[in-house]
Amino acid sequence: MSRQVKVMLAVVAMLVVLMPVLVACPPVVEEVPTIRIGIIGPMKFTVGEHTWWGAQMAADEINAAGGVNVGGVMHQIELFKADSNELLSVVDAVSAMERLITVDEVDFVIGGARTEAVLAKQEVMADHGVIFINVGSAHPEQCMRLAADYERYRYFFRGAAVVNSRYLGKMIFALVDMVAGEIRQELGIETPKVAIMMEKAVWTDPIVAAAQAKLPKMGMEVVGVWRPSPIAADVTAELTAIKDAGAHIIMTAYLGPVGVTASRQWGELEIPAAKVGINTDAQSKRHWVATGGKVEWEVTFNFIGPVEITPKTIPFYTRFLERFGDFPYYSAGVYDSIYLLKEAIERAGTLETYAVIDELKKTDFLGVGGRVVFTGIDSPYPHDLVWGPGYITGLGIQWRDGELVVVWPDGRAVLGDKAWEGIRFEGTVDYKLPPWMVEFWKGRQ
Amino acid sequence: MVEAILINGLVLGGMYAVLAVGFALVFGVAKILNMAHTAFYMVGAYLILIMSIMLGFPSLPSIVLAIAIMGITGRVIYKLFLDRVKEHPVAVMIISVGVAILFQEVLLIGFGGHFRGIDPFIHGFVEIGGIRAAYQQVIAIVTSLLALVAIRLLLSKTQVGNAIRAVAEDREIANVMGIDVSRICVITMGISAVLAAVAGAVVAPVFMVHPLMWLHPLTIVLAAVVLGGLGSIKGSILGAFILGFAETAVIFLVPMGAFLRGAVGLSVMVVVLLLRPEGLFGVVFEEERL
Amino acid sequence: MGSYLYRLYRGFQGEILAVPGRVIALIFVTLLFLLPHIIPHPLVLKIFSLAALFAIFAASWDFLSGFTGQLNLGHALFFGVSAYSAALLNVHLGVPPWATIPIGAIAGVIAGLLVGIPALRLRGFYLALVTLAFPIILIGVIFVFPDITGGELGLFGVDRLSGSRVLDYYIILLVATASILVMWKLTDGRSKIVRTGVILHAIREDEITARASGINTVRYKLMVFSISGFFAGVAGGLYAHYIRIAGPSILELFFSFQPIIWTIFGGIVTIYGAVAGVFILYPLVELVRLHPVGEIYRIVLMVLILIVVLLFMPQGITRWVRDHIEEICPRCKLINIRTRRYCRACRAPLRAEK
Repeated sequence: MSRQVKVMLAVVAMLVVLMPVLVACPPVVEEVPTIRIGIIGPMKFTVGEHTWWGAQMAADEINAAGGVNVGGVMHQIELFKADSNELLSVVDAVSAMERLITVDEVDFVIGGARTEAVLAKQEVMADHGVIFINVGSAHPEQCMRLAADYERYRYFFRGAAVVNSRYLGKMIFALVDMVAGEIRQELGIETPKVAIMMEKAVWTDPIVAAAQAKLPKMGMEVVGVWRPSPIAADVTAELTAIKDAGAHIIMTAYLGPVGVTASRQWGELEIPAAKVGINTDAQSKRHWVATGGKVEWEVTFNFIGPVEITPKTIPFYTRFLERFGDFPYYSAGVYDSIYLLKEAIERAGTLETYAVIDELKKTDFLGVGGRVVFTGIDSPYPHDLVWGPGYITGLGIQWRDGELVVVWPDGRAVLGDKAWEGIRFEGTVDYKLPPWMVEFWKGRQ
Repeated sequence: MVEAILINGLVLGGMYAVLAVGFALVFGVAKILNMAHTAFYMVGAYLILIMSIMLGFPSLPSIVLAIAIMGITGRVIYKLFLDRVKEHPVAVMIISVGVAILFQEVLLIGFGGHFRGIDPFIHGFVEIGGIRAAYQQVIAIVTSLLALVAIRLLLSKTQVGNAIRAVAEDREIANVMGIDVSRICVITMGISAVLAAVAGAVVAPVFMVHPLMWLHPLTIVLAAVVLGGLGSIKGSILGAFILGFAETAVIFLVPMGAFLRGAVGLSVMVVVLLLRPEGLFGVVFEEERL
Repeated sequence: MGSYLYRLYRGFQGEILAVPGRVIALIFVTLLFLLPHIIPHPLVLKIFSLAALFAIFAASWDFLSGFTGQLNLGHALFFGVSAYSAALLNVHLGVPPWATIPIGAIAGVIAGLLVGIPALRLRGFYLALVTLAFPIILIGVIFVFPDITGGELGLFGVDRLSGSRVLDYYIILLVATASILVMWKLTDGRSKIVRTGVILHAIREDEITARASGINTVRYKLMVFSISGFFAGVAGGLYAHYIRIAGPSILELFFSFQPIIWTIFGGIVTIYGAVAGVFILYPLVELVRLHPVGEIYRIVLMVLILIVVLLFMPQGITRWVRDHIEEICPRCKLINIRTRRYCRACRAPLRAEK
């Protein structure tokens, strides 16, 4: 055999030999017993970064306070970070999940962003039987799978603060109703015209259908439906058409980058219609910078805000802003998820998966985002969050002068539902219409 | 409605045109399918962002500086990576994809995947018959026309321009006539990168800045250039406007299908090519034997 | 019987043992088949299952674009059409994997023909850019029918290939080995059994002469498109049942670039180059990923390796290696190990004496 052949063979052999050495890398000798929690997300992007920040903060606090009491033995929390790269590649997300479970041998996994990737990760979760708390993706299908095959998918929980997108829809109606009320009062327009501009996605389809049916009953008129792509880089034409249609309200739902473009161009062109709905990117402080402040006056749903949802909220909000320089959002869900996991483990007194699942199901936890209770097995969405007044609800926030202020719940009944009456967290302010819009419509009368 | 489509289409087409011109130039002269072109645009935008927002330079000098840096970067990349393998067109294309992904990853690691924005030259908008266009978008149209005129002048009035045209026309003959073909290719690549950076300055303030921002414009640029006929600069600008109008028409005529704008634009390209396989302004080559 | 076995052994000795490249391939395939026994780690199995699946995908790109010069920048289309077809049949109608994967592959063939027919009119880069458009157009169509396709969620809950990971691995590996052998045989210019290899070679080198020699080039081009679509479809079907979801991410631009990167890295117009490219780059990147720093820089590393390899060996890594360990006899065209000075069959000197 010539030298080159030997070299080639050596390379092949090395590849094969190196694999187990690295894979079976023995874990560091532990003095204190640890609970290993995997944090998975697209770490180079805002969602992943926030997932990691929230986890870090919770773990640091718990460890500093002595750790988690598992049947009388104090355990420290050890976090394992995995970059799922899921916004670019679902295959990468699957291998990252596999790695967390089989190489890092974590006991629990928290994280998740892109729905397609979360669904794929659920399979890895079920294959290995590891508890997986999803904090990023809001799609109901993930929980509907539990209803269909509970045995297989029971390890899955929807983490605190991420609301099922069915409820997100309800929230948007509440927000639109609030804005419509303001328009009637301020501008004297009895039936405000609404343009529905939501990204084309499965999770927005039911919201669009509901809006078309429901808005006329709420005393509004739908002037059109625009469905840009979640990754559209330009929506000037949509905005022109919306202005042309004479809309007073733009009802939005964006998870994708189109949310940034839409805010930016809406503010730049001063489209005379109030923008209200969901715009995930607008929940981060970076959004203000990215849009050059053009997002001002926009209203979006958020998980958390600088108001007293629970006594824990404001201290957490301030600490988070101090440590990471950004407003918390996904991070609040991760933070609460780790705490409620801690409580479930302590109640179970063991790390054994099924015992922890049983305790997680009994969760009734007051976190920074509200009261967390999981839905039962008989629900159409098992292991989802119970939503409504008194539980996790989410907030309506408005951008004003570089700050996020909470404008909803505003203490009024929501679409005739009296249960909402009087729910108005300490620190909430009244909603205001964009000044250029007021000027535009007042000038017309 | 018609005037809205016209104005918005013009605005969108102008932005696509700025992106497409440089790409068409390099293909025409160096016969390189530079998939990294829109990555140059992205890097240009990031340079402006770094200088104007992070370092606090005034906007105009940072743009000029960014354009200059990109001009050099383009030449260096051609010299370092593309010149050596120019005999293998597919390898050249793959390397340019590699360069683009490299830029993307470096920016991802350095700046994260967050969305950012560059401030426009002038805030605000003009209103024509109730239809609003941001000043920045008007600037984009003017720039695309200026870039076209500038390239025209460069190609027809200067010595370098003559050499570039000679190389584009026939490499071998140009070589025989004493033109340093390799040097001309380097220069062209530099000009193209400069045009990409200009696009970064003009178009990026309308869109967003993030490390994946090169992917979507890449399909647009490829479609515009192919539509117009590979290598024809005039054609590529026309292609860009056709795409701009097609996409705008989709949004106005089928608002529920606004997400299909990209797919419709590409379908227009496919259909045009099936009817005219050499694009609108492409040259028909007889089946040649190499 | 005995003499038959002996002839088989002699054939093995002459065709494989004497050719260093084939020895490496043989050892490599053997190791792959023994892998679950050498390293029974689930992550390793997952990585190599995916690598085997992507090897089919990359090889099918090489079969089409490498061997006929029809540059396809939208190869994800065939993969995606098949993955979606398999997932549709499985999720909505409950068809089992052994049926959905072949049907998916046939869907890949149809996609191949749909692209192939217009491709006959287009040449060079025009073709490349039109093919690039197809998967992106398909994503648009997928979003139009979310009830059937699942929109951005994709079709999830697809049945798994088999009951166990090891079995999954063996199924994928067997299918991959068979597919790659078939593609390799079809493109083998020296084969005495199938003529396609030589014909494809002729078409690529000089289409007009090939036509003048009575070769129906249109038929062959379409055939290549459908065969390539078939194997990319096999990979797509396996993917749907292995990852258990078929979503729009497999139609994105990056997914089309991947097989090209692997193939060009490994060596274009070889089939085995594509396979080697996948089996070197993909596990390497996943290996690097285990380290926290490596996780951040893994794609940078991959791209740098790609660029460096292409700059110094523009023909790809396997062809570079092959040229350094093998020598083709100038007289009888038989492959010899480079250390020989005279051909093993005809004794002709392999190199001019210094």
